[in-house]
Amino acid sequence: MQRMFLLVVLAVFIGSCNQTAKKESKETQVTEMEQVISATIEELLAQPADYVGKEVAISGMVTHVCSHGGQKCFVLASDGETQIRIVTGGEIDEFKTSLEGSNVAFKGVFTVLNKLETDEHVEDHDSKEHHSTEMAHTEAEKAEYFIEAVDYREITQ
Amino acid sequence: MNWRKWNRWLHRELGYLFFGMTIIYGLSGIALNHYVARHWNPGVVSRSESISYPSALHRASVDRITIEEILEMTGERKNYKQYYFPSDDYLMIYLKGGHINVNLPMGEITVTKVRNRAIFSELNYLHYNKPKKLWTWFSDLFALALILMAISGIFLVRGKKGITGRGGLLTVIGILIPLVFLTIYLWL
Repeated sequence: MQRMFLLVVLAVFIGSCNQTAKKESKETQVTEMEQVISATIEELLAQPADYVGKEVAISGMVTHVCSHGGQKCFVLASDGETQIRIVTGGEIDEFKTSLEGSNVAFKGVFTVLNKLETDEHVEDHDSKEHHSTEMAHTEAEKAEYFIEAVDYREITQ
Repeated sequence: MNWRKWNRWLHRELGYLFFGMTIIYGLSGIALNHYVARHWNPGVVSRSESISYPSALHRASVDRITIEEILEMTGERKNYKQYYFPSDDYLMIYLKGGHINVNLPMGEITVTKVRNRAIFSELNYLHYNKPKKLWTWFSDLFALALILMAISGIFLVRGKKGITGRGGLLTVIGILIPLVFLTIYLWL
């Protein structure tokens, strides 16, 4: 009987621990969701310092996916001209070229390179033969700012 | 049973078991070489075709009706996604499985259709370890089996055609060739 009582107490304790863990996990999820800042591309580029290193959520039409491995793509701002570079991160292996022309929502970390890193990035970009032709996304491709995506979802096709 | 018999057994059994994997990695390896050297994407086939719009176009005059005319002319109405202007002189119409690039002043319409290349897209999917999970273990096992097959292979034949004779010379040449390339292209 005493053993039975102990088992019941143990079961209730484990159950309550599990509930606390679930509650904590839910709270963590809420906190994580709260940390993602929803912004437009124009807002990011107007005040980059406010967003650097933070997880942001943006959306827009994908104008181009790099055909050399799909490691980056470009998203058009609502002004129809400004574009931002999105690079793969997290669990994303590549961006499929079928994303071109689709509206896509991205979540990722907004990053701004320093002067030295930007120079190296531009030098690396210019050294690639397939970058010899100036394209509409070239400015965004060479830019110091980009988003390292951790998740994305196609909104429309 | 002596060790040579075991060696032959190992080489033969692994050879049979991993025949399919060797072909998969061999073919996709050739594709990867050309992907790197010539920017040829083996996973997709891209075909372009050009037609002319009856007149020159201007960005300001392009509207939904113009887009529909172009879609009609190219037979791509059902594949339409969205459009935008990469510059004042160009219009890009995105399609499911391709795009239409319009040189506005020239009235030149280029339709590019992209589709997965049969066989190669599947082979690459495996070679690049896109499935991950259990495939990682199986392909690691294959890599290990390749090493075992290479080692067991050099001891298959005895005598002057074996590792102590002509076989040894060929083995040394096979090791030296990549070393020569490394010396020329990387180390010097």
